[in-house]
Amino acid sequence: MAEGMRVEPDLNFIKFLKNAGGDTLKKCYQCATCSVVCPLSSDDNPFPRKEMISAQWGLKDKLIGDVNVMLCHQCGDCTAYCPRGAKPGDVLGAIRAYAYTHFGFPQGLAKLCSSGKNLPMLIGMPILLIGILFFLANGGMHLPDAESFKEVGFGHFFGHWDLHFLTKNVVFIDAIFLPAVAFALFATFRGVSNMWKEMEKSVNADTTFRPSALQFAKDFLWPSLVEIIQHKRFNECGENKNRVNGHLPLVLAFIGLFIVTNYAFVVKDIIGYFVEGLHGPIALANPIKILANVSAIAMIIGIAILWANRSNQEEKTGASGTFYDWFLIGEIMAVGVTGLGAELLRLAGLVTPAYLLYFMHLVSVFMLFLYMPYTKFAHMAYRTFAMAFEKYRESGFVKQ
Amino acid sequence: MDKKYSAYICTGCGIGDAVEIEAMTGIVTGEMRMECKSHQALCSTAGRTMIEKDINDDGVNTVVIIACSPRVMKDEFDFGADKITVRVNLREQVAWSNGADADKEYVQEQASDYVRMGCTQAKKTDLPEPYKLDKELNKRILVMGGGIAGLTAAQEAAKAGNEVTLVEKEGKLGGKALGWRKQFPTKAPWSELEEPSISGLVRAVEENSKITVKTATEVARIAGCPGHFKVSFKDAGTKNEWDAPAKVGVDEQDKIAKGEMENPNNGLQAYTDADPNAEVFGAVVLATGWKPADVSEYEHLGYGNFKNVVTNAEFEKLASAGKISRPSDGKLVESVAFIQSPGGEEHDRDFPYCNSVTSMVSLKQAKYVREDNSDAKAYILYQHMRTPGNMEMFYKWAQNDDGIFMTKATVTKVNEEGDGSLSVEMKNTLLNEDLSIQVDMVVLAAGMVPTTANNPTINLSYRQGPAFLDLDMFDGYADSHFICFPYETRRTGVYACGGVRKATTMEETIDDATGAALKAIQCIESADRGVAVHPRSGDSTYPEFFFQRCTQCKRCTEECPFGALDDDEKGTPLPNPTRCRRCGTCMGACPERIIGFKNYNIDMIGSMVKAIEVPDDDEDKLRFLALVCENDAYPALDMAAMRRHGINNLVRFIPVRCLGSVNVVWIKDALSSGMDGVILLGCKYGDDYQCHFVKGSELADKRMANIGETLGSLGLEPERVAMRQVAINEFNKVPEIIQEFVDEITALGPNPFKGF
Repeated sequence: MAEGMRVEPDLNFIKFLKNAGGDTLKKCYQCATCSVVCPLSSDDNPFPRKEMISAQWGLKDKLIGDVNVMLCHQCGDCTAYCPRGAKPGDVLGAIRAYAYTHFGFPQGLAKLCSSGKNLPMLIGMPILLIGILFFLANGGMHLPDAESFKEVGFGHFFGHWDLHFLTKNVVFIDAIFLPAVAFALFATFRGVSNMWKEMEKSVNADTTFRPSALQFAKDFLWPSLVEIIQHKRFNECGENKNRVNGHLPLVLAFIGLFIVTNYAFVVKDIIGYFVEGLHGPIALANPIKILANVSAIAMIIGIAILWANRSNQEEKTGASGTFYDWFLIGEIMAVGVTGLGAELLRLAGLVTPAYLLYFMHLVSVFMLFLYMPYTKFAHMAYRTFAMAFEKYRESGFVKQ
Repeated sequence: MDKKYSAYICTGCGIGDAVEIEAMTGIVTGEMRMECKSHQALCSTAGRTMIEKDINDDGVNTVVIIACSPRVMKDEFDFGADKITVRVNLREQVAWSNGADADKEYVQEQASDYVRMGCTQAKKTDLPEPYKLDKELNKRILVMGGGIAGLTAAQEAAKAGNEVTLVEKEGKLGGKALGWRKQFPTKAPWSELEEPSISGLVRAVEENSKITVKTATEVARIAGCPGHFKVSFKDAGTKNEWDAPAKVGVDEQDKIAKGEMENPNNGLQAYTDADPNAEVFGAVVLATGWKPADVSEYEHLGYGNFKNVVTNAEFEKLASAGKISRPSDGKLVESVAFIQSPGGEEHDRDFPYCNSVTSMVSLKQAKYVREDNSDAKAYILYQHMRTPGNMEMFYKWAQNDDGIFMTKATVTKVNEEGDGSLSVEMKNTLLNEDLSIQVDMVVLAAGMVPTTANNPTINLSYRQGPAFLDLDMFDGYADSHFICFPYETRRTGVYACGGVRKATTMEETIDDATGAALKAIQCIESADRGVAVHPRSGDSTYPEFFFQRCTQCKRCTEECPFGALDDDEKGTPLPNPTRCRRCGTCMGACPERIIGFKNYNIDMIGSMVKAIEVPDDDEDKLRFLALVCENDAYPALDMAAMRRHGINNLVRFIPVRCLGSVNVVWIKDALSSGMDGVILLGCKYGDDYQCHFVKGSELADKRMANIGETLGSLGLEPERVAMRQVAINEFNKVPEIIQEFVDEITALGPNPFKGF
């Protein structure tokens, strides 16, 4: 007799899911209402019904390599229609939270980012880092007078000391943020490739033939990015359709800010090393500044919509509020509000409050970058590659 | 009694429109020679006052009510136990069964026949006299079995004021519940197991001054009848000359006489002999419970081969001894698989004798596993999970527990692995994969086999033998009729409860035992008043025998579904009226026609049949007799009439107590008076029988097959006598059944003996 698949439920996995928003997972009685309403479900793959019972049985290995779990964008239809309040959407979110931690590199930091209990430490670390640097570099509090503040803005935040034409500020920011970004990118790469391997395992992909990097980018990654920008899948949602009103501006805001940041990096940090005078605040009428301000406003509006949306959903469907969801919402809101706030206070010439907000802005941006691979923000990378995997799975490389 | 008759015709409810009342009055006063009055609503105060005035002023004592069905207006037309009331059903069977387009002449003839039949019935009916036991009636109740069921029954009967004797085979009271670790939840939130309550119950019974407890004691035999059972006790496990003798029928007696077979009752007192040391009781509650089923036949599950495969009963014992550890090496259990269905890929049935109890036991025992070790896993592999009532909440609790994993599964194999662990292989799971799990122990949901399955248990000293009859129909459960008459058995005065009746939970058992105790009291009180206990509760008639003409053929004795008849010393049937349920099966069986009731007998029904006028020169006016079971088919006819389904008006209906009471002479009467066909409408029989008297319609079917042969030899088509099964809810089918029969006979042509 052929032996069946040997299963060994993982009680700790179940406990994790229950703490991460999936507290209702055991209620599922496999009626498949969720599979009927979910646009991701197909005839031979009843999603998320199967994932629900796998979760109930603590079958971690089956779930972390499940591409559908990553493709789910938590529209909430399943949760709204579930007749027993098992909230499949929230369970899937919890599985993703587990996956980000599971795939995360290094594990210590990944685990730290998985629980609200660690929030003081998560905020404390950048405060200490930036605060100590600020004090050390600045030799204690040294606020500029209103006149020079108008001219240099936050250019002297870390004290005044020019390396060639570079402000001390730029040097310090680069010294803090460039390694953080590099580290986050590397960690994301490690995490995503872990996920990719699990997904390949789960579909028993034959990896003899692999696409070239170019092929991969052209055939799988680029179409996924296009799809993401268009928000096609969001529009398939029934229950939570207006979430797109928040998510789309937010994505566009991030793209805008990405452009602005890169522009600033090139102009201020690279060209500014050689050419003098590129370091003050950019004029408000400058197209780049306009893009920056519009993006900042879009970001605040977008995240506010998602904030309201999430609250409504929790109220309406009884979805559970989790650290996993709210950390990202709070985080983005903090980045937006502190950034724009610092700018407004600067324009108003209020030095002390402006400095305080700027400090908070640096802290929140640092957190956004460094914790990106382990928090909900990681969906940016994981989901993009999951969509690429979905296309890869259907391609000739896997299906022969 | 000197009968003074008077008939009353009601013209209300459409009767007056359907038939000519004056013509009917003429029949009553003319050929039937009775007073006759009519009223537009007999059931109204004015109508009843008219009748009561005749009763009081003119001494009328036999009243014929020509109105609606005898199933309705029972209180309105009750003129006291000292009056005879006969009901003629013109409303349902004539007015409401004929359409507006029915031929008036046919309808009038139909109504006239019913009036003749009703008046004839009145003439042939006598006032019943309740049967009085010739021995002193005893109101003590014997409870057999000292488990939850028996203890509860004893307590409840004592509460109602009856003396009780409780016998228990084991050395102490408590039964199976003694070995339980916890009990099912009985209150919200239905997730907490409860401490066993059995010791409290045992104490209450032992302290009750109305209850005598006999432990380590068995019942050797029970002789006698309700109101006067003579019970012989013996020490548990011993043999005794007063043990109940096996049934020795007529054929066996022959063989024993010829030396062809050994008497199985050698060394035992005959069933008719009286034990001088017997104690007397009025009724018996049978609460002997169940035994854990043997599951070694399911080889693929490894019971008997692998030490760590146990039954649920064995697991309970382990659990009540302390933290659950593996039988093979005493290791604290970390994972247990509970297997509910043994069929593998052959079938999905649960273990035999399961019911919902074993589903719930598996949930309870899974909770033990989780309580003993918070890292432990309990798997429940089921084909059916049955948790009735509030136990659904307990099921939900189990579903929500992190460490309880449930799936529908076809378990194909249990294997032992090196260290005593077991692997369980399963298919068709909810995970849509064939699975294999490794566990420390496997628990099989073995069933609860009733003690009556393999043993007479009740040990009656009756001519029909010591056991309940036909228990194979109920897989050995001691019950005659689950749904309609719970607790009743095939032996009047013996009431079953708890595991012997059905696999029950403790709560159900307590309800059951209370019901059975009350039923036992009802039986004693009915015997005291000389009336039937059930299902014809309160019926004060009973079968009377004209023994001078008895040929000792013993058909009545053999065919009585309730073993009411023994033999006397000479071999003549010896009736025990308190055992009798008044179905009349003996009357239907008797070829000498010497058995009858005061208000229901061979002559009465025969005369009613003969009162039907059969035109002998009109080929269109065929006549059919329908003998109708009054418990199922007759109500179905009434309902068909209420819904105006239309019933063929060539048919004349006579309700009978049970088709078992139909004597073939009535059929001969009908056919010899020129009627063209006789149809018997009885209830369903077979595995899901609906007969109030268990065997009636089945017996009738056999008897009709026999009569068919006789008809054939007379040159009559056997098809002219038919039997059909009708359930009470088949009112929409019954007109069709009748019409088909009429059409079939019409095609055969009229009865060739018409007019002779």
